[in-house]
Amino acid sequence: MENENFSQPNTYFASDIAGEDVRVKIIGVGGAGTNAVDRFHFDVIPGVRLAAINTDAQALASSLLEEKVMIGRGVTRGLSTGGEADLGRKAALSDRDKITHVIGSANLVFLVAGLGGGTGSGALPVIAEIAAERGAQVIAFVALPFTMEGNRRRQQADDALRELRQVCDAVIPIPNDVLLQDVADNATVLDAFAKVDSWISQGIRSICTMLFNTGMINIDFSTLKQAFISRGGKTLFGLGKGTGEDYAKNALKDLFMCPLLHLPESATCADRLLVNIIGGTDLSLAQVNEIMEMITEKFNSSDSTVIGAVVDERLNQTLEICVIGTTDIGGHKRAVRPNPPSVKPRIEVVGEEFGSNTGEPEKQTEVAKPQEWIPGLEKAGEKGAKPPSSVSVHASKLAHASKTGGIPQNEFSFVQKEEQRGFFDKTERNLFEGQDLDVPTYLRRGIKITL
Amino acid sequence: MNSSKIIGAIEIGTSKVVVLVGESAAHGKLRIIGKGECASAGVAKGEITDFKLASECVHRAIVEAEQMANAKIEHVFIAQTGKHLESFYNQSTVTVMSSDNIVRRTDVERAEKDAKSKELPQNRLYIHHIRNPFLLDDRVVLGPVGMGGKKLQVGYWCVTGDKNKIRDHVGIIGGFGMRVDDMIISSLASGVMVASADEKKSGVIVLDIGSGTTDYAVYRDGFVVYCGVVPVGGDHLTNDLSLGLRINRKNAESLKVELDKAFIDKSEAENRIWMIGDKGIGERNIPVQSIVKIINARMEELFNIVLKQVNVHVPVRELSAGAILTGGSSRLYGIEQSAADVFGIEVRRGQHPEWISKDIEGPEYSTALGLFHYALTAQESNSERDDGAQKQKSAGFIKKILNFKL
Ligand SMILES: Nc1nc2c(ncn2[C@@H]2O[C@H](COP(=O)(O)OP(=O)(O)OP(=O)(O)O)[C@@H](O)[C@H]2O)c(=O)[nH]1
Ligand SMILES: [Mg+2]
Repeated sequence: MENENFSQPNTYFASDIAGEDVRVKIIGVGGAGTNAVDRFHFDVIPGVRLAAINTDAQALASSLLEEKVMIGRGVTRGLSTGGEADLGRKAALSDRDKITHVIGSANLVFLVAGLGGGTGSGALPVIAEIAAERGAQVIAFVALPFTMEGNRRRQQADDALRELRQVCDAVIPIPNDVLLQDVADNATVLDAFAKVDSWISQGIRSICTMLFNTGMINIDFSTLKQAFISRGGKTLFGLGKGTGEDYAKNALKDLFMCPLLHLPESATCADRLLVNIIGGTDLSLAQVNEIMEMITEKFNSSDSTVIGAVVDERLNQTLEICVIGTTDIGGHKRAVRPNPPSVKPRIEVVGEEFGSNTGEPEKQTEVAKPQEWIPGLEKAGEKGAKPPSSVSVHASKLAHASKTGGIPQNEFSFVQKEEQRGFFDKTERNLFEGQDLDVPTYLRRGIKITL
Repeated sequence: MNSSKIIGAIEIGTSKVVVLVGESAAHGKLRIIGKGECASAGVAKGEITDFKLASECVHRAIVEAEQMANAKIEHVFIAQTGKHLESFYNQSTVTVMSSDNIVRRTDVERAEKDAKSKELPQNRLYIHHIRNPFLLDDRVVLGPVGMGGKKLQVGYWCVTGDKNKIRDHVGIIGGFGMRVDDMIISSLASGVMVASADEKKSGVIVLDIGSGTTDYAVYRDGFVVYCGVVPVGGDHLTNDLSLGLRINRKNAESLKVELDKAFIDKSEAENRIWMIGDKGIGERNIPVQSIVKIINARMEELFNIVLKQVNVHVPVRELSAGAILTGGSSRLYGIEQSAADVFGIEVRRGQHPEWISKDIEGPEYSTALGLFHYALTAQESNSERDDGAQKQKSAGFIKKILNFKL
């Protein structure tokens, strides 16, 4: 199939756009979340602020962060919840004002926590909801407990994940089990956690650098928002790094082998994909194009890939890639999809909408009517979700898209959708004695597979 | 029954739909005259997830089978599996009525009716009532009629399923204007094909390891004493390999299949590597040891789940005829050893009778073939099934199904 993107490479580059101001807040919640954010060292990026929220006063005291907020004094008396998600939720609910204050005027909120414990599992969904209510874009990176931590923690994490998916714009789960695959045999638990933290940190950093016009190719906030237009679906998150003469190829290899992309939770294809590349002074635009071609093919996201690229002056023959994808699998879009379904809202189109400087005001078509938000239709726990936004697409583009993306694309997508779904996506969880049998046994048992 | 009948045996499996056409002649003989097969879509872990897709596959297989047979299917027997299947043992006790304490037919019927009529929740349906031996004053007897005693007991293994899931299966067949005569759970259908009467007497467990499920039946004293479904099969292995080795599903599937043919010497496994062509990455070497680890972990877990479930009812170690493996995934390399290590009994792969033709002799056809056995025994009016697997009297089951509104 002809790749439309590459005949017009500029369409997905939405650079130099005076968009909305982005105010980023990264909030670590609970012990694991606070530890992770502590290790970020993000203060260097202007416009990004860090904070920690916990029930546990002692844990907060040991954090190096400037903004630390204790919640639920009346609930846990400054102690941890002892693993009770109910207490964590109560703690958060009892301190809504404090939480609102932490979020402040931030319009892009990253939440970081380890699910399974009481504060992470209980308070995080409340915090996410408050942030969403205030109109912020909310992206959560959450570590899921080790299988060996037992049934109860898994259950709490599951519940929290479900709630988060309803209020966050994207939830990126990282099962701790994967750590056992990725760290050296003699690594300590702390080493392992440091690994997750660095993964999360790289993910957040990638998004931030793309937004803050620090790179060779930047994106604006509204483009980023489009990438997270579908709420609650499966996501994918992967990192790759390459060095040496063949650094681009090596980075791609490394990315495709990234353990995070080979998890039951991970989607294998993306309906919308954010790609960020950090390269050295030798990185050329042609190379970026080549890399993009490989990535869009791999994740089947040619319709809607957004790229950011950053040149780090200190680097040479080094390339880092970060991909974050969202899908409509299991999610619910806030915007109604245009009809016919083969015409997808395209991120690059929206980018062009801002970027096009033909001078001539182009006619826009409202392809998706803002859906009425009927409170009665909300499921329990969905309260406070934002009203659906609409997707605008150029009329000219629309005609074009429906021409190229006609019947063959539909036929094509059938096979790909099957592959994308993973084996067991449409089935109930396969629980036996608290373990999900659809998750590979080696992964649950921490049997390390060397490659 | 004198005239010959055209019987269709249909298994809507997770990986494939199989339709076999048999022509039954007098004296309980049957000739297989057609076969149709189609890769499944819309089926996961034995359950229908997409009615329309699954329907299309079944239709294709039926058309193919009928064309080959050059006959129209008149009677349909279908297999049923899935996590929704449950079984329980229900026993009833009656006092022998006559003053001479001789058991009459009516006593037996009363006891049987009692044991089979336990009320089920709204959404459940009986699929099988599998009779276990009678107890007459606590003695095991096979045919109590005419014997002397006061207290007559009989128990049934009752297999039930979710109404909606059963309706999906029956509805697909109904969609082609065909009527389902009977539904047999996969484990029992496979069981009759690979376990001999002697083995069933001594005690044996048959495991049909398919793509989406593992169906097992346990026999002792010639009776079915337990059966179950674990929603884990070859698909899980493929998925495990795909994630663990970070290869795509297609590569994982072919790797799994190639492994079956290959010989991996345990001592050699340490050093061997497996080449895999991966688009985007190129050729990659994978240590065989890693492949073995992934497979062993999954298989050992699967067998341990079965062991745990069965041991509650029948100690597996007491099954002196051992375990028999069938189903497509029983082809997996080294699987008997994995099973033997867990079960602690002898394990062998099932073999179909010699008269079965080449194209359907593989272990993946056990279930479909076994359906014919039930079709034939259903014909012999008034006779009990040799393994005690007996359907609810009358067409009650079928009637209930037909009454479903689709
Ligand atoms: N990535 C990461 N995960 C951690 C860390 N510490 C614990 N975890 C995981 O995160 C889960 C939650 O643990 P905590 O964060 O300590 O729990 P909490 O949210 O503070 O909740 P309570 O202490 O029970 O109130 C655990 O089940 C672990 O799987 C860490 O430092 N990093
Ligand atoms: Mg804590």
